[in-house]
Amino acid sequence: MEGKERKLEGAGKPRVLVIEDEPTILEFLETGLRYEGYAPTAVREGKRGLELALEEAFDVIILDIMLPDMDGFEICRRIRERGETVSILMLTAKKEIEDRVTGLDAGADDYLTKPFSFKELLARLRALLRRSGRYREPVEFRAAGITLNVETREVRREGNLLSLTPTEFELLKMFMQHPRRVFTRETLLNRVWGYHYIGDANIVDVHVSHLREKLGDKPPRLIRTHYGVGYSFHPEEAA
Amino acid sequence: MKTWSRLSLRLRLTLLFVGVLAILLSVMGWVFYQDARDLLVETTAAHLRARAKPIIEHWLYGKPLLTTGKQGTPKHRPLKEIAPFLARDLTSRNTTALILDERGRRLADGKRLPEEPDSAPPVPRYVRQALKGKNEVTYEIRRDSLPFLVVLIPLRTSPGSRNIVGVVQLTSSLASVEKTLARHGLMLAGMAFLALLAGSILGLLVVSSSLDELKTMVSTCRAIADGNLGRRVALPERKDEIGQLAHAFDGMVDRLAETMGAQRRFIANAAHELRTPLTALQGSLEVLLRGVQDDPAAAARLIQGMYREVTKLSRLCERLLDLSRMEGVGSLHKQPIALRDFFEGLLPQLERLAPDREWVLDAGPHVTLQFDPEMFRQVFFNLAQNAAQHTAPGGRIVVGWRLATRPEGVTLYVSDDGEGIDPEDLPHIFEPFYRGRTRGTDETGSGTGLGLSIVKAIVTAHGGKVEVQSVPGKGTKIILSVPFG
Repeated sequence: MEGKERKLEGAGKPRVLVIEDEPTILEFLETGLRYEGYAPTAVREGKRGLELALEEAFDVIILDIMLPDMDGFEICRRIRERGETVSILMLTAKKEIEDRVTGLDAGADDYLTKPFSFKELLARLRALLRRSGRYREPVEFRAAGITLNVETREVRREGNLLSLTPTEFELLKMFMQHPRRVFTRETLLNRVWGYHYIGDANIVDVHVSHLREKLGDKPPRLIRTHYGVGYSFHPEEAA
Repeated sequence: MKTWSRLSLRLRLTLLFVGVLAILLSVMGWVFYQDARDLLVETTAAHLRARAKPIIEHWLYGKPLLTTGKQGTPKHRPLKEIAPFLARDLTSRNTTALILDERGRRLADGKRLPEEPDSAPPVPRYVRQALKGKNEVTYEIRRDSLPFLVVLIPLRTSPGSRNIVGVVQLTSSLASVEKTLARHGLMLAGMAFLALLAGSILGLLVVSSSLDELKTMVSTCRAIADGNLGRRVALPERKDEIGQLAHAFDGMVDRLAETMGAQRRFIANAAHELRTPLTALQGSLEVLLRGVQDDPAAAARLIQGMYREVTKLSRLCERLLDLSRMEGVGSLHKQPIALRDFFEGLLPQLERLAPDREWVLDAGPHVTLQFDPEMFRQVFFNLAQNAAQHTAPGGRIVVGWRLATRPEGVTLYVSDDGEGIDPEDLPHIFEPFYRGRTRGTDETGSGTGLGLSIVKAIVTAHGGKVEVQSVPGKGTKIILSVPFG
């Protein structure tokens, strides 16, 4: 699987080109990005990455500086020389300020220093996409008569404002962002409560049941229970 | 003694210097003074005698003063008769003459005027000496704390005669001599004082200028201790001990700074090396936690990757430990080993690293060398691995040794006909974690960047040196010089 790029299906998903020579880093970036709803293309060689960047239309390029055949700065410059306006996020292993300056001068839009948190990478990707206007993350999710606004943090069902706790809001947002995906309790814990939360996974059940109550969710349920596994959201079937 | 050692070095040196100078000057002054005094007294005595001589001769042997004896032969007038005249003639403003007869009895005293000094009372011992014919009886006396010189002159019946009829005792004041001496003494003391003062000032200046530089060194030391490793004493060119000390000190700090710089680079590099696996581990874990754990196939791939990174980390740790162990010489187990046996056993093992290269043993003379075989095995494994990595399949790798002089020992080498090393990389290849621009496509990622550093550390621990010769496109030769013993 290493050494060759993989292109992903998915119209409407933001297209991300990842150029990184460390196989493990490339692997988690690709897997993680796909899981988070991006369409990643992973490349290990700088030259191949440059070719792809020039041939195809990407929304963002994640670019490592230290590549064996052609360094990130060079790739960045070449892409900019062609007048491409694609957003470029540089990954640098060095903290030195010159590196950042060189990177930004070479035409990068942002940089991240290794080791970085994947969550931060996602946040920066979203910011880059927002700024470039190439891909706008929906502010409002609508399904089964429920409206969830990410910016105002308001949730309405059939026009009636629901009062949700922050945890319930995050849970509902997760479900509405990823309809039909089965989330295990552990995943929900990690993503809503945070990676460092240590405690009983049953707390998820408690919050989901509160959420259901507030949504007036009756069988056939919007939020479906998978016994021994977790929960998923099924708007079309409930409607 | 305690207060002495509490004084500053500047003060102590100056005091010591001034003390020694003062003692020297006093001794010299004293000797000079005594000498001058002796000379002056002697001169005065000689002068008195010289002045007395014609007068005595006039009165004793002068013809007009001869009387005619009964037989008509000329005869000296008795001393008693001429003594008053003689005494009076010999007496002057600062000298009084006293005439004594052959028994030492006073015949006449020349003193008439009050300013003329009183005659010294004759000292029988000296008078006797003079009466026995001793010409040079001279002594000093002190009366009313005034110094006088007493000179005795025997009176002979004719010049050179043994017949002595009396003695002239001249008592002469030494006041003027003393005055002169006092003046000289004062001058000497003044000069000594001036010399002492000048010496002290000069000494203080010299000591201070030396110590000022020591002070500079002290403040430099403090600055360095506070972490400012860029500071140097940097005294202007001087060849004395202080200059040497400053130079040696600067050299030491240079060396320390260099070592610390290397250390810092090493740590930075080590941290950098840790960063990549850590990034991979952190990212993979995060992605798993965010939900990929629910997808068994993707999770397995991530976990495999994480395993790979953890393996890399532990290998890196091992190598780092190797390196730190190597840098302490304590753990060497040297033993005498015949090089031919060692390499004949080693080469087949090296060949296994890359069977598709041509491995050649270029045996030198049959010698025995003291070394730690386990460590040397690692040296040649590392070198062989590098050589194999940088040669194409079919490439030729030669391992061999030669005798060396200055220092007496052996040069061992590993050479290849591979891609060579970029001249820009050449000075750095023994630095830990240094990876050249021609780092190749290390698919396995097995290189920790420490191999050559470990080689260098081992060879250095054996008292040897590592050199590299490389021509890009032609090949590389790593040469180890190891001394006997």
